[in-house]
Amino acid sequence: MSDRTIAVPDGAPSPSSGHGSAPREGGRSLAGKKHVGDSVFLGLSAASAISIMVILAGVAIFLIVKAVPAISANWADNPDLNSGPTGGWDSFWAYVTPLLWGTLWSSAIAIVLGAPVALGIALFISHYAPRRIAGALGYLVDLLAAVPSIVFGLWGIIVIRPFLLPFEQFLNQYLGWIPLFGGEASSTGSTILAGGVVLAVMILPIITSLTREIFLQTPRLNEEAALALGATRWEMVRMAVFPYARSGMVSATLLGLGRALGETMAIALIISPGILFSVRLLTEGENSQTIAANIALNFPIATDLQRSALIGTGLMLFVVSLAVNMIARYIVAATGPGAKANRRSRVGTARA
Amino acid sequence: MLPLYCPGWGPSGSRLAHHERDTVKFRTAAASGVLAAATVLALAACAGGDTSGAEPSGSASASASPTTPAVDYSKLAGTITAGGSSAQANAQAAWTAALTAQATGVTINYDKSQGSGGGVTNFLGGTYDFAGSDSPLNADQTAQAASGTCGPDGAVNLPVYLDGVAIVYNLPGVTELNLSGSTLAKIFNLQITDWSDPAITADNGGTEVASGPIQTVARSDGSGTTATFANYLTQVNKADWPYEASNKWPVAGNVSAQQGGSGVVNTVKAGTGTIGYADHSAIGDLTAASIGVSADDFVAFSADAVTAAFASAATTASNGVEGDLSQKIDYTKLTSADTYPIPLVSYDIICKTFKNSAQTEVTTGYLSFIASEQGQAVAAKNAGSAPLPQDILDQINDTLAMVK
Repeated sequence: MSDRTIAVPDGAPSPSSGHGSAPREGGRSLAGKKHVGDSVFLGLSAASAISIMVILAGVAIFLIVKAVPAISANWADNPDLNSGPTGGWDSFWAYVTPLLWGTLWSSAIAIVLGAPVALGIALFISHYAPRRIAGALGYLVDLLAAVPSIVFGLWGIIVIRPFLLPFEQFLNQYLGWIPLFGGEASSTGSTILAGGVVLAVMILPIITSLTREIFLQTPRLNEEAALALGATRWEMVRMAVFPYARSGMVSATLLGLGRALGETMAIALIISPGILFSVRLLTEGENSQTIAANIALNFPIATDLQRSALIGTGLMLFVVSLAVNMIARYIVAATGPGAKANRRSRVGTARA
Repeated sequence: MLPLYCPGWGPSGSRLAHHERDTVKFRTAAASGVLAAATVLALAACAGGDTSGAEPSGSASASASPTTPAVDYSKLAGTITAGGSSAQANAQAAWTAALTAQATGVTINYDKSQGSGGGVTNFLGGTYDFAGSDSPLNADQTAQAASGTCGPDGAVNLPVYLDGVAIVYNLPGVTELNLSGSTLAKIFNLQITDWSDPAITADNGGTEVASGPIQTVARSDGSGTTATFANYLTQVNKADWPYEASNKWPVAGNVSAQQGGSGVVNTVKAGTGTIGYADHSAIGDLTAASIGVSADDFVAFSADAVTAAFASAATTASNGVEGDLSQKIDYTKLTSADTYPIPLVSYDIICKTFKNSAQTEVTTGYLSFIASEQGQAVAAKNAGSAPLPQDILDQINDTLAMVK
């Protein structure tokens, strides 16, 4: 605690507003003389950094090596690939594209539903809420990240599925002419909409905590200038906060997308899947399956070559997730806010 | 309650002493953390010991059977590593508990998380003493076993677990439902979509059982139950069920696909007008339909009816290895009113010659216990399965006698 007051005196009055990195900065200024511990720790941390790259490369190599037999096989003639979970497709690519679509589609639903709410929570915490409530809310959102996905899955099955059912039937009945809501409405609730809602809740914490930090970094001067010009709170947010935080909001959303892409258990439990291309939200039989859930559902029963095919789909997911995360990092690196100095004075100003 | 001695205490105590010499505050905190962790571990280890001690004695009383075991299992010793089919997992747990009660030197690890496919893969890879699988090895896998892990003597499939596929439904107020195989095929192939359909009415003595749309519920994961049920439908109504039998549900369209037998059962229970299929042992308090065996006879699930069905419809279809007991079930033979028409068989697969001969005795001992009258009774009582007929049990033991 004392670290914080040393490094940033004006941060002390508001320790509850979620400044996760404050002690770290204080610690940096306390760096002392050289010591044996320093070189040991340098070695350890360098080894950790290298090991993560080795692990990532190892995973990629494992996926490629295991996937190649199925990717290169002739699916039409192969008795293994012809039956069971992989039966009915001419090639690996014909099998994996609907799965890729389902993965992207369910994640897109989650982003559309979840990102605005997440940004709203972040903005409320950083600029609107009284300090105490903001702190408590921040912890609650972070707590959401600690809920295991199997629990979200069960919650989805037992609570969300029946909860959404009347709403889904309403949409289907009156707005069924829109392709999204068309088709034969589900009677059990195992729709991709239900899955998307649960996914949206699951990606809330990551988007909220990142954007909250970015909103807090908005230069105080910009905000005060906006307010001084007679802007209301909302106009100030629109003119000073959003332009400054735009790239951060995009990259936080993409990181949330990365989380949604790989989600397995919740989707596997909730959605009634089919390997097909569909945009329908409310049906029982036209929910596009996701890669991760498809692997989880079929791996136990699959034979060697079928497993290889499933691992191949995992490789595709790996590539897509990697791309999404790299784009997110790139956006942050290229256009993100550099100034950390202004970070701490935010809450007080916003409440003024 | 607390054990007098646990191996965990020794090392943790000395670690604590080591750390307490350090006076830096941070390290003391870490040391108490180590102590806490070590205590938890030690307690967990002891708790683990407690359960493994209590379990066998608990089910030993459950398995008390009037028949005296023909074999003295108490001489067996060793560790069996196996895994595969989750359908027979409850039965494996019951068998393990019952056998280890008699043979305290035996440890059996059956990993149900692998599923049938994983069980066979690990078996062929040489890490399992036997695999549990809902289907026997296919020709490819049989050849692979003979050229690889089992050597030229090959592997044999032993049918050890018998259950039935139950058709569960949820229709408010309807406690009895008759469905013929032909109607089932049409319902699950989405040709009959309303409960007031004349075919359903005809199956139920001419009275309309209910009206409203039918929602079929199937498995979203690959499953031996799906394969068995689809195989049954193919055989009884090829015209309305034009699919190859496979462990993946073949019907596309308005089908609710759910994970696992429990997922199907829960969705059927939560919905209205729903109908699905599941291992009988997994259906809980749902009512199961009676399945038609002839124009007038509809049979409700019972263990006796499943055993009778196996006795009259299953024939051995050997994979070419002497002693193999792969079964082929001819569902069209099941026309008698005392046979339940959708029996489900699960296999244990072993090598005829063990690479590591030390494992032979304990593994065949365990399997012969499974294939004993007592073993089958234990599974029926604890896992809700149906006992296999005596003559197939005798054949299994004949095969086990050949295993080296």
